[in-house]
Amino acid sequence: MRAFKQTGSLLFFSLKKEWLKFSLWVLGCLSFVLVGIIAFVSIYSGAADRQAMSAAMSNPAMQALFGKAIGLDNYTIGAMYSHTMTVMTLSLIGIHSILLVVRNTRQEEEEGMLELFRSLPTGKMAHSTAALSMLLISNILIAVFTILILLIFGDSSISLEGAILTGIIYGLNGLFFGITALLVAQFSANSRSASVTAFSILGIAYGLRIIGDTGLELFSLLSPLGLLYRTEPFVTNQWWPVLVIIPIMMVLGLTAFYLQSKRDMGGGLFPAGNGKRAASSFLKSLPGIIFRLLRMPLIIWIMAFVLLGIAYGSVIGDVETLIAGNAVIEQIIANDPSQSIVNQFISILLGVLSIAAAIPALQVMMKAYSEEKKGRISHLLVGNRSRTRVLLSYTAFSFLVSVFMQLLQTAAFGGAAMTSQPEGLAFKDVVLGGMAYIPALWVLIGAAVFLYGWFPQIISGVWGLLGFCFMILYFSNLFDLAEWVKGISPFYHVPEILRGEEGTLSLILLMMMSAVLTASGFIGFNRRDLIND
Amino acid sequence: MKMIKIESLSKSFGRHQALDRVSFSLGKGEVLGFIGPNGAGKSTTVRILLGMLKPTSGTAELFGQDAWKDAVEIHKRIAYVPGDVNLWPNLTGGEVIDLFLSMRGAAVDQDKKEALMKAFEFDPTKKCRAYSKGNRQKVALIAAFAADADLYIFDEPTSGLDPLQERVFQDQVRKVKARGASVLLSSHILSEVEALCDTVAIIRNGKIVETGKLEALKHLTRTQIRVKAERSLDHLKEKNWIHDYSKDKSETVFLLDTNHLADLLSELQNCNVTKFESAPPKLEDFFMRHYETDEEVD
Repeated sequence: MRAFKQTGSLLFFSLKKEWLKFSLWVLGCLSFVLVGIIAFVSIYSGAADRQAMSAAMSNPAMQALFGKAIGLDNYTIGAMYSHTMTVMTLSLIGIHSILLVVRNTRQEEEEGMLELFRSLPTGKMAHSTAALSMLLISNILIAVFTILILLIFGDSSISLEGAILTGIIYGLNGLFFGITALLVAQFSANSRSASVTAFSILGIAYGLRIIGDTGLELFSLLSPLGLLYRTEPFVTNQWWPVLVIIPIMMVLGLTAFYLQSKRDMGGGLFPAGNGKRAASSFLKSLPGIIFRLLRMPLIIWIMAFVLLGIAYGSVIGDVETLIAGNAVIEQIIANDPSQSIVNQFISILLGVLSIAAAIPALQVMMKAYSEEKKGRISHLLVGNRSRTRVLLSYTAFSFLVSVFMQLLQTAAFGGAAMTSQPEGLAFKDVVLGGMAYIPALWVLIGAAVFLYGWFPQIISGVWGLLGFCFMILYFSNLFDLAEWVKGISPFYHVPEILRGEEGTLSLILLMMMSAVLTASGFIGFNRRDLIND
Repeated sequence: MKMIKIESLSKSFGRHQALDRVSFSLGKGEVLGFIGPNGAGKSTTVRILLGMLKPTSGTAELFGQDAWKDAVEIHKRIAYVPGDVNLWPNLTGGEVIDLFLSMRGAAVDQDKKEALMKAFEFDPTKKCRAYSKGNRQKVALIAAFAADADLYIFDEPTSGLDPLQERVFQDQVRKVKARGASVLLSSHILSEVEALCDTVAIIRNGKIVETGKLEALKHLTRTQIRVKAERSLDHLKEKNWIHDYSKDKSETVFLLDTNHLADLLSELQNCNVTKFESAPPKLEDFFMRHYETDEEVD
């Protein structure tokens, strides 16, 4: 057992340094479960509402997103939770587990921490074992609290067996992806390629499940997500997928440990390949380098937005039956009987999509800040580029991203919505309705540029602003809020074109506001010291 | 015209005074060693010169232009290597070198770049995440030397290099100096400064404590003398230009104020000296002495 010497003290140390991230992630996963179950119980308490929902959820796009429709004949809260939440929660826990393992194994190895530990009298496997123990602890916590949350907040359809099964598949899924990450970490030459590979496996698992759940069922069984989804808690409560995945997981874990014992510290079984000797002419320009730095997240956002747009668009045909008579939803969209309910619903959805489109656009400005903190903006400024020009490149890119993403997802949304041929709804109107939100997005970008120029340390405050906008959009009709509080959100001033609102003036005012914020951000950036840690 | 002219430059961060009325200048074709311990204000000065920080008061000029206002014009003529080179982990070294060169806006001399990569034994095809500190510094050094700049600013550029590559660095500095370019070398490796610099400026706690030609400064230092003589030398102990007088077996060891060498020789004339060794003054001795006395004052 010499190889595992000091595992306990390493685990204690890891928990001490990780506790904040660790607890935030565990709480995040659990709040996803909590919000899910509470929302279902409060919004879909009526059997008729649920039955309407089951019709909407069984269309192909929704099955692709969430999984093969289950329990349709008796769509209880339990069945609804199982159908729509399982794959999403499994993916979220998978992401958490991959990050946790890579951060505590390969990344520490890369940054030299492992070297120090190994020079002390600790066992060869102690470091990895400590990381796996942490993975185990986090997934046990998730499993146990999921069971409790479901039993406490669920209705009578949430059976004890189903809740326990749900908790167990959540925990096992986390362990599976964490162990997979440890395994691929043995092959990779560095922590980035380890996490990229592990995330690709998660992505492939999701993709296989899409193929399987929309047709060829066999593919679903090849995917751990699809396999665990087949447990169907609260519907049929199958235990065999649990029995299948446990031995697979153990084989993967033992292989990872065996490979780790064979390889050199810092080495990977597949060494990193050589890269380019010289830069392409595109990379050598300011927009080129900025694009290159943001390429990966943008590609992922594009895929997510297309998927999201199509999925939301695909339910439009069923909206009428879905909403009719559901008091809570009617209140959220502030139902006006003189308007088509579909148009009102789409109007709200466009607002939600626009908030999502703000995220990648704001990320561009966040990148400017993180690049500055790491001392890399100065590499650009030491050349013959002025501060204005460097900031202009980031800002212009951010504005472009907002337009592109909004156009892309409203087009995907509108296109999918058109397939159900809703009455009195034109593709052009959906896209125009989405475009109307762009000036509001620009105000948020302007706020980010302003903060970057004058108060860079608190630039992440724009996320708070975005969250506030989301709350106003979603809940302003549920609670009585003062007009001026709602007015803080730029989205509140966007005319809802699909409801026939006119608002050229407010759009112009939003754009002017964005321009003022952006310009003053430039003034600030030209006056302040660069930040360097 | 001076390449760098700094006059009573002060910079505070909140309450912390990082620089306190710093002044020095650098002429054309000169190499200036900017020395001082960590945290003395070297990097702050350099970052003001690059227009990254705004001075609280005083002036910092390069080529007669204001470091803050005319940053872009100035940057066309300078090359800079920071001490801690942070690179983009997913680009290769070769890509970053090209990027740095293109940010200067000048055409890249491919042969020169290749020659430098060879001299520094640098592999440009690896991703930056895989580079050690020394290799990351090489990226910035190659990009700097491949550029035809009028002024090179180095902020502790060799802390990660091995002695062989340190020599490559020194050769390159001599080359650009021969071409008529000026160099500001911020460093705490005194042997490097001694090997390369004409003038030095010593900074401590944000203040310049000494500045001048290296030779002149050395003149102010003390030379270690070891003498063996048949007669007693104890009368030397009384001289105020002799320090740390001690006996080591049959030999006498002391420090001599270097400008009193002639006095010492005349004193020794009748003492039947059988052995005389002198260790040349080192910048390090001067530097240490300066700091020790300063600490006594504190």
